[in-house]
Amino acid sequence: MTTSGITRRGALRMFGIGALGVAGAGALGACAPSGAGTSSGGDTKSKNFDFTSWSLNEEAAKPSIEKIIAAWEKAEGSKIRAVSYPYNEYLSQLTLKLGGGETTGAVHLDIAWLAAVAQMGKLADLGSVALKGGYTNVALDSGMYDGKQYGLPWNTGSIGVIANSSLLEKAGIKKHPTTVEEFEGALRELKGLGGGVVPYAAATKVAQLKDIFPWMQTFGCTLLEDSKVTIGDDASIDAVTWYKKLHDEKLIAADVDRFDARALFGQGKAAFYDDAIIGKGVTAAQSKDKTLADAMRPMKRPVLRAGDTPQALLWGGVIAIVKGKGQDAATEFALHTTTDRATTTEYFAARALPPSTTAGLSDPKVAQDTFTTEWTEKITDTATGSPFWQFAQNAQIEEAVAKQVQAVLVGTSKPKDAMKKAAEEVNDLIKR
Amino acid sequence: MSTAAPPQKAAPRRERSGGRLSNGAFALLLTAPGLALFAAIIIYPLLSALFTGFFKQDLRLPGREFVGLENFSYWLDGEFLTILKQTLIFTFGATLVPFVVGFALALALNSGLKGSGFLRGLFLFPWVIPGVVVSFLWMWIFNANYGVLNGVLMKAGIIEESISWLGQPGTAMLAVIVTKTWASFPWMMVMLLAGLQTVPKELHEAASMDGAGSIRRFFAVTWPQVRGVASIVLLLEFIWNFQHFDTIYVLTGGGPAGTTETFATAVYQTAFKGFDIGRATALGGLWMVLLLILVAVYLRITERKGDAR
Repeated sequence: MTTSGITRRGALRMFGIGALGVAGAGALGACAPSGAGTSSGGDTKSKNFDFTSWSLNEEAAKPSIEKIIAAWEKAEGSKIRAVSYPYNEYLSQLTLKLGGGETTGAVHLDIAWLAAVAQMGKLADLGSVALKGGYTNVALDSGMYDGKQYGLPWNTGSIGVIANSSLLEKAGIKKHPTTVEEFEGALRELKGLGGGVVPYAAATKVAQLKDIFPWMQTFGCTLLEDSKVTIGDDASIDAVTWYKKLHDEKLIAADVDRFDARALFGQGKAAFYDDAIIGKGVTAAQSKDKTLADAMRPMKRPVLRAGDTPQALLWGGVIAIVKGKGQDAATEFALHTTTDRATTTEYFAARALPPSTTAGLSDPKVAQDTFTTEWTEKITDTATGSPFWQFAQNAQIEEAVAKQVQAVLVGTSKPKDAMKKAAEEVNDLIKR
Repeated sequence: MSTAAPPQKAAPRRERSGGRLSNGAFALLLTAPGLALFAAIIIYPLLSALFTGFFKQDLRLPGREFVGLENFSYWLDGEFLTILKQTLIFTFGATLVPFVVGFALALALNSGLKGSGFLRGLFLFPWVIPGVVVSFLWMWIFNANYGVLNGVLMKAGIIEESISWLGQPGTAMLAVIVTKTWASFPWMMVMLLAGLQTVPKELHEAASMDGAGSIRRFFAVTWPQVRGVASIVLLLEFIWNFQHFDTIYVLTGGGPAGTTETFATAVYQTAFKGFDIGRATALGGLWMVLLLILVAVYLRITERKGDAR
């Protein structure tokens, strides 16, 4: 029998070292995120905290937010760690980090995501803080979920259609189309301009195909009625059939999301596209055409029949606070950022995003801004929230419908079958 | 009188090694910490994930509910075959095309081409760029509305209107395979070139003297010599592509309308976009079974080669 030349004592020593290694790995595992819970822990009184926002990932928005952060740090002698993920990846990244206890402090949220994030049980109730803010009622509602104020409203607006009046003029279109029929006609006129013009840079990628919802509503689909999903009804099928027609006639382009649409519009290659009010600032900033900002006009979404109410989706951002480290200071920061008159006015000047407080909205710089007032009259006044926002699975619901609409656009499914399948998937998601 | 004591029978010496370990025990001891770590960071999470496949569980929320085989049947009765088909299309395409390109270049570089050293370095360039960066580069090339490819084809008069390469079912998978080919062919080229350089020149000379042309020499001399390397390269690339994620996710995200969805993107989308960790791990489990078959084939081939030596 051959032997190795190692004694039992030596072997035990080595085994001990090995065991220590495993114990170390185990300890590392124990330190790893533990999944969903209710509190992130940490010193709530800490002056230093994180601020997570998708806008810090966007060139047009980053400087103005960094300015707010720098001013706060200087005034309070604290340190804010800025964290960001791209908008289209934001919810999943944030959810994972939040679930793992890695996200603390203040968190910028799209109002559509509030329910999904609030259900994780990590956000602080800001009800008493919100009372101090002087927010409008609509704005306050956008930060509420299940009767609790989880978000301090930063900006409240809507997603609507923006038109390039210069291109419309070139195509001989003198007034904004008001019905779907007129809209189609205008798109054909614009297509006639040639030069690679995409008449309507509508979303055709899954990431923003939720833009189909206002069109479905335009055709008469309510999406959800008394807890019953109405996607799959004749109106939704008509809407998707119409969208497919625009796609096939190349009046809308394939492979477009919000960022592609802004790029096309910025290059003067699109006459209409859907965006939030923020779109003006972002698109004009990235365009080489310095006259574009003046040519951008908000447009009422065309209606099916004259006299119908134009459809638009409410949109806005809130700042929520994660329970735990830096909670108190982050709350003060959120309150300051969303309500301080000078801060909100300067932010509006930089990004064309209207504030959410009565005082902020009455500031002459905001109140006298033509684009903002026009936007409010034409789009926000009739805008409504999505009935699916109440569900934690809102993002999955939007994606399920978007995938089916995309299947119709690329010809792998018929509108009727696709909407039937979308309804089944939405029902399944709501039940889950 | 002296009496000689009868020689005493030596007591049988105990077969003990004075507390020393046998080679087998020593080997086991050496591997024990590694095995323990492997169990802690691979086996445990794997079993835990497979176990999760039997539960309805939201990634964001605490708690879960046992649902038996429901998550598995969700896939098997639904999209499983479609995803398998698409995964295989991608895997075969992204394995065979770079293999052909890499082999052709390896043959060219092995032929004593002038500047082959420089070219070898140049061809390695795509390989050193991170996969995500490569994918973003190609995403811009294939972009329907302001992509380079459409621009070039339109200027050349080949197309009149831009093509949505990533937005149409027919072209999206092709675009993904082209991108992956660009990223993978250098590795295959290097491996095959190494194989080619081990082929004795004498064999080629002898074949030439017997009147064999270049094609005959390739099949009679070169291919039998590099077949072993080629099969390993193909199999490894096949296994990697079967699990590949970044190119597909960046370029198409599995779209349009799920036509480039593979196991990797479907598991990711289900877990991190849909937050449905139960269904995601169920699909992951099914995917793993298929991967195990591929790994078994790989081990079989490598063992056979070891035996042959």
